[in-house]
Amino acid sequence: MKRAVFLILTLLMCLPAASRAAGIDFTAEPAGIEIGTLYKGTSIQVEGRVPEGTQVVLRFTGAPEDLRMKEKGKAMGLLWMNMNTLHFGNVPKVCLIDASAPLKDLGLDGARLGLTGLADAVTVEPATADKASLLPELVTLKEKEGLFRQSSGGVKLGEKRDGLQAFSATLAVPSRLSPGSYSVEVFALRDGTIQAQAAKTVDARLVGAPALLADLAFNHGAWYGILASIIAILGGLAIGLVFQSKGAH
Amino acid sequence: MSIPMELYLPIAGNSVNIAAVFGLGGAVGLLSGIFGVGGGFLMTPLLIMMGIPPTVAAASDSNQIVGASTSGTLAHLRLGNVDVKMGLLLLIGGVLGGTVGVEIIKVLRAMGNADFLINVTYVLMLGLVGGYMFIESLQSMRKAKAPAKNEPEKHVKSSAFARFAASLPWQMEFKRSGVRMSPLLPLFLGGLVGVLSAIMGVGGGFIMVPVMVYLLRMPMHVVVGTSLFQILFTCINVTVMQSISNHTVDFVLALILLVGSSLGAQVGAKIGKKLHGDQLKILLASLVLVVMFKILYELIARPDVLLAYVGGH
Repeated sequence: MKRAVFLILTLLMCLPAASRAAGIDFTAEPAGIEIGTLYKGTSIQVEGRVPEGTQVVLRFTGAPEDLRMKEKGKAMGLLWMNMNTLHFGNVPKVCLIDASAPLKDLGLDGARLGLTGLADAVTVEPATADKASLLPELVTLKEKEGLFRQSSGGVKLGEKRDGLQAFSATLAVPSRLSPGSYSVEVFALRDGTIQAQAAKTVDARLVGAPALLADLAFNHGAWYGILASIIAILGGLAIGLVFQSKGAH
Repeated sequence: MSIPMELYLPIAGNSVNIAAVFGLGGAVGLLSGIFGVGGGFLMTPLLIMMGIPPTVAAASDSNQIVGASTSGTLAHLRLGNVDVKMGLLLLIGGVLGGTVGVEIIKVLRAMGNADFLINVTYVLMLGLVGGYMFIESLQSMRKAKAPAKNEPEKHVKSSAFARFAASLPWQMEFKRSGVRMSPLLPLFLGGLVGVLSAIMGVGGGFIMVPVMVYLLRMPMHVVVGTSLFQILFTCINVTVMQSISNHTVDFVLALILLVGSSLGAQVGAKIGKKLHGDQLKILLASLVLVVMFKILYELIARPDVLLAYVGGH
């Protein structure tokens, strides 16, 4: 019994020490994104320390969502058309990746942390769909929208002290951002494997006029539609009347 | 410059440059004012290029057309170019036809590959309408040049269609358009356009304008005004329905576009008035043909990405 208690106590004492040794200490500022009327994208300053001798991969990913899409194919061997309906599951809304070295040089785990690796977690239905050719298309589409991005060199490694190395990076968050919960993840890699990882949540929320409008549009659709029509009519009439008075010469 | 030019649109989920959206609205409004078409065929793809999701681009455009067509209708009303009676008949027919069209599209989708049929119908319709209008107005312009007369009397051929139209009951006068016909004819033709536009997912201005010119024999200037009058009501319906079922109307985006397009529509109406009916027709025909070729190109050329988002409806 005494031996068992001693063992448990020893384990409990060791746990925090182990997490500190393998862990990453970092900050992400600002801790939340406010999307107001004049929001046009923002940047998140990430700073911290990783175990010495490791390379850093930084990711900003949005909550996974399901997408319903059409696959384009040739109808009658001639015309490009929307053909089969596809359901993609577990697709992050946003995925921005930066690293202290090119991901291809960071071994197997480095590649897994990149956009191609991310696509592996995505599910495609129906099961008969050609996942291998469809996933790169999905990544290309998201890249064109500015929602997926992979680069390297943006994470700067700094001074080494006490077995740890400082790092810093500035993540440019796109203007095309929906409200929701996003995650800043930091990975420390050495010899092709992840040595440590840590994550922080960044919440994006609508504030001011966008929040009011979104509430009206999503929770009171009929009123929103009627109001939008009335204001459009009044706007059109007002401009028409201005022209009428100017034209009366 | 210290004036903020970027504005975040909560429904579109992106920020846009106010000046760019305003300019886009102005350019499309100009065309709308000249030809009496909604301009959705131009506006929607350009908005998508600016980073607006496709479903939001189409629905918000309908919202702005409400304002632009109000302004355009007012301008044409002052010029005496709106045949309200004819417009209402076409509108009633259009609403009924649209309902039928939505049911047809459901059946087509259930049968599979409806998109193929829709696209081919679109290209054929635009090609036929654009080609016919182009050739007809070109011939008419040449004829007008030959005799020294200012306004050559338009000679109505006694075609089978004209004889059929004359045989319909309840013949009545449409003073603004200067024609006499049964109300059944605009009701039926409005319905037909409604069916086609619901199937093709477009406003229908492109088909409605030639129908009014060639089948209802209305003068081109009255056609433009009456078409705008009708589009106004169609787009109110779309705005409200999209707001309720899909939440895709971005009102702020629509408002910026509207200010630009309303100004453009006013200028357009004035330019249109200065142009001869045949010149208007040939310009519209060219526009229709350009759109037709654009769609045809998209059908033939390999797309950059082999995936497309599915609209919420």
